[in-house]
Amino acid sequence: MPAHNEAGVISSVISRIPSEIDGMSVTAVVVDDGSTDGTAEAARRSGALVVRHLTNLGVGAATLTGFRAARMLNADIIVTMDSDGQHDPEEISSLVHCLVEGQFDVVIGSRILSPEGMPLSRIGANLLLNAITFVVYGKVVSDSQSGFKAVSRDALGRMKLKSSGYEICSEFIGEIHRNNLSYKSVPVKALYTRYSQRKGQPFLNGINLILAMLTRLLRRV
Amino acid sequence: MLAVIVKVFSVALAAIAISKSYVDFRARMESVQMFLVWTLTWVTIVLVALFPSIVDIILEYSGSGRAGLGTIFGMGLVFVLFMVYRIYVKLERVEKNLTKMIQDLALKDDWMTKT
Repeated sequence: MPAHNEAGVISSVISRIPSEIDGMSVTAVVVDDGSTDGTAEAARRSGALVVRHLTNLGVGAATLTGFRAARMLNADIIVTMDSDGQHDPEEISSLVHCLVEGQFDVVIGSRILSPEGMPLSRIGANLLLNAITFVVYGKVVSDSQSGFKAVSRDALGRMKLKSSGYEICSEFIGEIHRNNLSYKSVPVKALYTRYSQRKGQPFLNGINLILAMLTRLLRRV
Repeated sequence: MLAVIVKVFSVALAAIAISKSYVDFRARMESVQMFLVWTLTWVTIVLVALFPSIVDIILEYSGSGRAGLGTIFGMGLVFVLFMVYRIYVKLERVEKNLTKMIQDLALKDDWMTKT
């Protein structure tokens, strides 16, 4: 879980993560991305392992640090999720079930497949970013910006991810395409609380994300 | 009216740039050579903005006429674009190195035992 200044909610998110799924033990790893509000301490108190960036690098860099930490822990399945309470930790089980039973390389939790409670503006923005992801990376998925994903160790080992910012989600989709990995999108709830909406994604982040993806496209030309 | 706006804008920008350069020079974050280069550059820009006829005098002196003006602006634009590209590449390299360093440091820590 990449986290930046989430001390207010992170404990409640970690406490709802199941400790075991299908006989596999679950270890919560929080990557504190240079928080200044005691996120790392709150996460540690709740029982998570915490990797701490000295300064804020961005959600992409924090996710990549989390992947490296998972490799160090020899994790068989790696699940990423937001730390602001937008994702329901109890749904980790359904992502992992789907990955194991369907023998998929990747399972993506899609908010678009279960859009109840999702603001219309967010749905529109996601569809636009799905389209840009397709143009840049050549793959259409229902929720390219989902931070709620499960991936097998082997599949993660084949991915070459390097984005520091929000474009990591689209790059992840691109790597599924590049490596011809099997994947499935499963519906997940999007919990838009007043807290998560207040923190949310500023409009400028969306612009930065689009610019980053277009830069990627230009570099390839 | 537009000419006045351009003049005010140029002087304001130059004042900000030179004062920032001076502050950095005083804080020993910038060498005296760099401070002089930036000051000279901005003073030149302000002089051209305040007295555009300078350009005509230079062109007349060099004997290249109006056609030469376009060449000078064209070269200037190419130079600026080249500088932007160089800065972009360097910034990206610095950001990449910084990210790697912070990630390595974070994972060198005894994070696996901190529960």
